[in-house]
Amino acid sequence: MQRFATRRGICGTGVQRWRRCLSQLAQNTEENEVYVPKIPSFDYSPPAYKGPTAEEILRKRKEFLSPSMFTFYKKPLNVVHGKMQYLFDENGRRYLDAFGGIATVCCGHCHPDVVKAIVDQTNQLQHSTILYLHHAITDFADALASKLPGDLKVVFFTNSGTEANELAMMMARLYTGCHDIISLRNAYHGNAAGTMGATAQSNWKFNVVQSGVHHAVNPDPYRGIFGSDGEQYAKDIEDLIQFGTSGHVAGFISEAIQGVGGIVELAPGYLPAAYSSVKKAGGLCISDEVQAGFGRTGSHFWGFESHGVVPDIVTMAKGIGNGIPLGAVVTTPKIAEVLTRRSYFNTFGGNPVCTAAGLAVLKVIEREKLQENAHVVGSYLKDRLCALKDKHEIIGDVRGSGMMLGVELVTDRHLKTPAKTEILHVMDQMKDMGVLIGKGGFFGNVFRITPPLCFTKDDADFLVDVMDYSMSK
Amino acid sequence: MATQRNLLSRSLQAAKSRCRYHQSLRGISSAAAPELPPFGYEPKPYHGPLADQVLEKRKKDKEVHLHSVGASFLDIPSQDPPPAALNIVEGKMQYLFDESGKRYLDAFAGIVTVSCGHCHPDVLGAIVEQSKLLQHTTTIYLHHAIADFAEELASKMPGNLKVVYFVNSGTEANELAMLMARLYSGNLSMLALRNAYHGGSASTIGLTALNTWKYPIPQGEIHHVVNPNPYRGVFGSDANQYAEDVKDHIDHGTSGQVAGFIAETIQGVGGAVELAPGYLKLVYDIVRKAGGVCIADEVQTGFGRTGSHYWGFETQGVTPDIVTMAKGIGNGLPLGAVVTTPAIANVMAQKIQFNTFGGNPVCSAGGLAVLKVLDKEQRQKHCADVGSHLIQRLRDLQQRHDLIGDVRGRGLMVGIELVTDRKEKTPAKAETA
Repeated sequence: MQRFATRRGICGTGVQRWRRCLSQLAQNTEENEVYVPKIPSFDYSPPAYKGPTAEEILRKRKEFLSPSMFTFYKKPLNVVHGKMQYLFDENGRRYLDAFGGIATVCCGHCHPDVVKAIVDQTNQLQHSTILYLHHAITDFADALASKLPGDLKVVFFTNSGTEANELAMMMARLYTGCHDIISLRNAYHGNAAGTMGATAQSNWKFNVVQSGVHHAVNPDPYRGIFGSDGEQYAKDIEDLIQFGTSGHVAGFISEAIQGVGGIVELAPGYLPAAYSSVKKAGGLCISDEVQAGFGRTGSHFWGFESHGVVPDIVTMAKGIGNGIPLGAVVTTPKIAEVLTRRSYFNTFGGNPVCTAAGLAVLKVIEREKLQENAHVVGSYLKDRLCALKDKHEIIGDVRGSGMMLGVELVTDRHLKTPAKTEILHVMDQMKDMGVLIGKGGFFGNVFRITPPLCFTKDDADFLVDVMDYSMSK
Repeated sequence: MATQRNLLSRSLQAAKSRCRYHQSLRGISSAAAPELPPFGYEPKPYHGPLADQVLEKRKKDKEVHLHSVGASFLDIPSQDPPPAALNIVEGKMQYLFDESGKRYLDAFAGIVTVSCGHCHPDVLGAIVEQSKLLQHTTTIYLHHAIADFAEELASKMPGNLKVVYFVNSGTEANELAMLMARLYSGNLSMLALRNAYHGGSASTIGLTALNTWKYPIPQGEIHHVVNPNPYRGVFGSDANQYAEDVKDHIDHGTSGQVAGFIAETIQGVGGAVELAPGYLKLVYDIVRKAGGVCIADEVQTGFGRTGSHYWGFETQGVTPDIVTMAKGIGNGLPLGAVVTTPAIANVMAQKIQFNTFGGNPVCSAGGLAVLKVLDKEQRQKHCADVGSHLIQRLRDLQQRHDLIGDVRGRGLMVGIELVTDRKEKTPAKAETA
């Protein structure tokens, strides 16, 4: 059968469908011949692992680590080695990494260029703080700022997304002299006191004081009350400001595509309208690019660009360093100036090793055209997932952009009842077959696909075939 | 009122130099300037950007904050041109090298952070090896590095302190500790010492009690008690009087029940201020009676730095409920940790508490290597030996120079306070700079 990829296929709207020859899977049950998808070949053998086994590690985790720490899978996986888009367990078995350490490993596990930058710099100087000069931080800040539009060119380095968002929220409050911040229901922005306030899912919110945050109706095209009508949702922002605040706010923070919330794309037209209301109320617009940034969405480098807006503050982490602990806040000189009123200092932030790695990451993304790859392979993958949706009732929605995709499982398409147990079963099955996929969403029923951006079409095929197989069982 | 700027802005925290007693015979009377101890190592040739170029980039609209922070830290208002900044390009053990290959004795260690020594071979080896295997997957999968490191770290703790949470900085660690205190106790009020530094995020700014670092934002219910500062404090070294102030705050400023109390045993940013002896014992008792938990911020004092003990709190003969650490824990790796009891950890289990980078294989491997180096090279004892020698020499210096108002600290966490008038204790700000 002819196979061709469609660009940005939208499921079920008359886009030409195609069937890959492997759709023979659908006929397997009749033909009594079970085709088991095979992981794409990869010319690499992992070094032998002689460390502790999964059981030993689990025992130690139970005794010495947080009791709220969780693992995926009935039988937690001991991942000991990574290479590009693959991970290896203690037995040397290879898996396709479709989660990327939660949208974090963007260049690929142990990408040679990034590793080299880390190793070279570690051999030279790990840490001295910004009290002294070092070129790595300035080179990276320069390169990073050049990726941002408008007047966004002052960079603050932190060690995580939480720290970045905390700083962004504090800057907005200082700049405006107001305290109220608006975030979206279903958002995730971090786990410290301020960011926990902005985070809006009860699973992540402890019973402690979280002041000054108002949670707007989520412009969720799949579950939201107004469907895909972005402007209608944005009216809630206006409403919140008029009735819940003094009329002036510190700011608004959102992810362009909600990550932890289950890869929820904000309804089209939402952000421009929301930004407009917030700016009218004197507030700053913060774009949380922790997951969507660095080319992951394929069509643009930053998630906010696909909404046609320019924020006042951009926060980033995760993919920025391919897994090294690093975060950043980029803003305008005018806004940055508020921090000069006192001293803000981050001991580890901007250290030579992390910034050297960050710079290497930017270069890899550019040289290997990872954004374009995310676009091409991501679109292809999304099309195949849409086709899978036609086949399996359990798939309620397929959404996302580039290599930030979500597949929502429901037991009833009409009622959209979350398939909370079924997803665990499918996920486990997929792991047994060699695919490590992510999970999220408020109900925990959304597959999150955020692989390293070097993911190929063969990988995409394998992922979908394995999902198909697992769902068919 | 002494602020951080009025004290010597850098506590003299010497790196591990060898004991050279005969040097004490040379002194200011000698014509020859002291020489750096010999060090059989040549820095690699440097071909990167020079100081001017780097500074240019830092100022040019980008990172404008870096310039201002540097200036404020040095207690010099933003000048043009700014004070000469040093381009540090390489480090080896207790020495740093600038762009021209000149060697410097690093007496500050990247702010009490480089514990084993710059580019210590064992730590470096662990980092490099793990970086080649696996940088990051998160704790949703298993990996031995985090488990091994947690086990080793827990073994260094007294009492029931054995559940470890890994984070990426001291700020994150103290944020988490505060959350734990409030959840476990069900109370709101936190108590912290004036002159303390606990972090730079909105909430930890509340705990921090030095106006230079406090932005004008709401900081929740935090009470700053009188600092038990033997040199400048109103009660000298009388711990009982200072502890009374804590009780006073609780009785009058709170509902009578508190969430917790946090303190550094030797205040770092605040100028190497040792808490008056016996203070913590008294205060811990008061706080616990009021339903609160006791948090020891070991970000600077931990890992044997004080010489006499592994942890700063041990010098005061107490066992906290929560211990936070960062800086020296990873010899410069972005790593922090919170260690607490199973009872407190169980309360945390009611919701998901997750840190994406926290406990990653590379930082955990680095952290474990650090613990091993500290043990193998008997660094705690070394801190005690060299530290007491250093402090003695500084005390001798104090006899000769009126400018030195106070010499304090222990192990390799030492402070020298400069004053223009010993009686008035007028801070010698310009002289220090």
